[in-house]
Amino acid sequence: MRVDPNYISNLTGSLDQTQTTLQQLTAELSGGVRVTSLSTDPVAAGQNVLLLNQIQVDDSFTQSSNLVQGQLQVADSALGSVVSQLTQVVTLATSANNGTMNSSNVKSISSQIAGILGEVTTLANTSYQGQYIFAGGQTSTAPFSTSTATSPAVTTYSGDENINYLQMPNGGKIQLNVPGDQIFSGTGSNSVFAALNSLVADYATGTVNTTKAVADTNDLSTALNYVSQQRVTIDSSITQLTSASDAVSSEQTQLTAAQTTLMQADIPKISTQLTLAETQQTALESVIAQLGSSSNSLFSKL
Amino acid sequence: MGTISSALNLMSQAFDADQAALNVTANNVANASTPGYTEETPTWQENDSIQINGVSVGTGATETGATSQRDRVLEERLDQQQQLASASGSRLTALNSIQALFMPDSGSTSSTAGDIGSDITGFFQSFSSLEANPTNSALRESVLSTASTLATDISNAANGLNTQSTGLDQQAAGAVGQVNALTSAIAQLDTQIQSISPDADAGTLEDQRQLDLSQLSQLVGINQSSTENNGLAVTTTAGQLLVSNSSSFQLTTGSVAGVTQIFAGTANLTTQLASGGGSLGGDLTARDTDIPNTLASLDQLAYTISTRVNAQNNAGTGANGAAGTAIASSTTGAKTLDIFSPPPTLVANTASGGTDVSGAAAAMSAVMTDPNLVAAAASGQGTGDNSNAIAMASLTNQTIVNGQTPTTFFSNFVSTLGSTVSNVQTENTAQTASVSQLQSQNNAISSVNLNDEASALTTMERSYQAASQMFATLNTIMTSALNLGVDTAVT
Repeated sequence: MRVDPNYISNLTGSLDQTQTTLQQLTAELSGGVRVTSLSTDPVAAGQNVLLLNQIQVDDSFTQSSNLVQGQLQVADSALGSVVSQLTQVVTLATSANNGTMNSSNVKSISSQIAGILGEVTTLANTSYQGQYIFAGGQTSTAPFSTSTATSPAVTTYSGDENINYLQMPNGGKIQLNVPGDQIFSGTGSNSVFAALNSLVADYATGTVNTTKAVADTNDLSTALNYVSQQRVTIDSSITQLTSASDAVSSEQTQLTAAQTTLMQADIPKISTQLTLAETQQTALESVIAQLGSSSNSLFSKL
Repeated sequence: MGTISSALNLMSQAFDADQAALNVTANNVANASTPGYTEETPTWQENDSIQINGVSVGTGATETGATSQRDRVLEERLDQQQQLASASGSRLTALNSIQALFMPDSGSTSSTAGDIGSDITGFFQSFSSLEANPTNSALRESVLSTASTLATDISNAANGLNTQSTGLDQQAAGAVGQVNALTSAIAQLDTQIQSISPDADAGTLEDQRQLDLSQLSQLVGINQSSTENNGLAVTTTAGQLLVSNSSSFQLTTGSVAGVTQIFAGTANLTTQLASGGGSLGGDLTARDTDIPNTLASLDQLAYTISTRVNAQNNAGTGANGAAGTAIASSTTGAKTLDIFSPPPTLVANTASGGTDVSGAAAAMSAVMTDPNLVAAAASGQGTGDNSNAIAMASLTNQTIVNGQTPTTFFSNFVSTLGSTVSNVQTENTAQTASVSQLQSQNNAISSVNLNDEASALTTMERSYQAASQMFATLNTIMTSALNLGVDTAVT
């Protein structure tokens, strides 16, 4: 039987292959990445795109939620201050309504309430990073202004009813703002500013129309409760945001682990393969040296 | 006959024959490394015996020439496998260059540039961030910069594909020149073979013809069939004649719509050559199938993202109250709040209701420069509104690209491309292994084995020595005969 006399060139081919394997393994080791091209593992490459997408989405939600958290906390503390200011007004009005005060004391209460009105207006015009947070979508102009042309004075709202949401990675939405008129200019007896302006007018002259003043005080108490109710919306957004942000962070950790497992090189495994390939290369080299030696040729024996 | 002098004559014939055989061996050793050379073995022939007085007397042997050791069936089989292997080999080379444009993102680097999947997410997430604070100019700037990264990476990938296509085009045109040179050479050799050796193996001429056929097989898929007088007809695998009756039929190239097409006479052979085999087939498959498929997916992605994002942004209101309106003088369908340049086929598609997306990827670019034009607010809403930003961000979750979300589409795209490369790789490995097996079989028959030559040399040398010895002995006998028993007359 005849044999292929060019077996050494076939062995050289094997040596080339071994060197390619060595190169690939070294590249994986030095880069720490297993999937160095799409064809190495097409399914993993596709999966990687989806995982990286989700990780990025989570990452950007975490950043957004930090931004939004600041805004919601500013809104919450502003409403907290409003509640304590209004509680003070109710106390002042109740003492003025009991009929024991002289005219100058009543007038002083009127001006105290007017001062608080000013503060509440400032709180209602709270801004965060230059944006008015109780103005709906019209965040570039202060939403509340008071006109003293009439008595009682009238506070008007120039914002709109727009509500912004932050979309969570799972598709849910978190409310980011409550339009100012919902909080401060509610309908009927729910309007903070109407009640405050009426009370200022009620006590302005020093003589108290007790029936009206009591009714206005009651209105303010109702409005105060209403503000507290609106504050709950903001508080629940903060709670939702915190828990969503925690959930997203832990998801991100898991996804990153999954992505690492999918794409990163298994160092011990590659090292073992590398050792094997090196051994094979040495073996091939010595076989080639042995077979290629001229003393193996019949001509050398003649 | 039957005399001492006839025996001497037989020996001198044996010298000639042995020398001729030694010559064959020497020629084999000299050509041991010549490409295409097939080992030759001396052909021995016993001379006709003669009858003398009813006794059959041998008349020695003659060396009638050398016979090339070849197996035509095996050679043809090797050529065919070679065509398949070089087709998948050149296609694999092209596909490897294609997939190099879409290296998987390891996710370990903070920069997302270079990976289209991350770019898509980064772009849509910039709108998610904008939801948190729609008037923040840094967040608006980030929309523009991510848009620019996305557009640049997509158009770079598309341009890379186009460049590769041009390279393959030139390679194919070059291969046609080589094919023509080889077919002419085969036709010329055919003429010589038919005139010199119509009935038998033509030795080195046939070696050369076989070498040319084997080179031709690496370039293009061929079928070969023997014709009368030891001639050869060569056709492409689809049946187009390349060599017949000692003449060759030249292929020509021509440019159709900027792409090189290959003709024989007036018949366009491009498609059949693409599926025929050889490196030309591989190059044409990559140029006409793989690259267009990849580009079509990118075009689809670029077209959909550009048009959907532009439409949604134009539906909203910018930070300065700007609304999306058509630009009066525009012939491209551009509007004031476009983030990306309108795809080149947008106007035609709008008019005809068509879905032509060609060229969208290469032409993709981010045209918006003023961050205030990013429409975070819905139409008619105050600048603090973020509902359009939500709508923009939610495009990433909508099945807008061929019934898939942009990210899923890209994920499937890389998986498909990776699988194609991986399949061709497997195919090529198997074919290459098969080629080397056949090559090994063919080498066993046709290659010069130096050990065989050494042994043949020794045998022939011994045979020559034996003949010499025989001649000397006969000479002694002849001397004795001439001297008729007297020792000293002739020595």
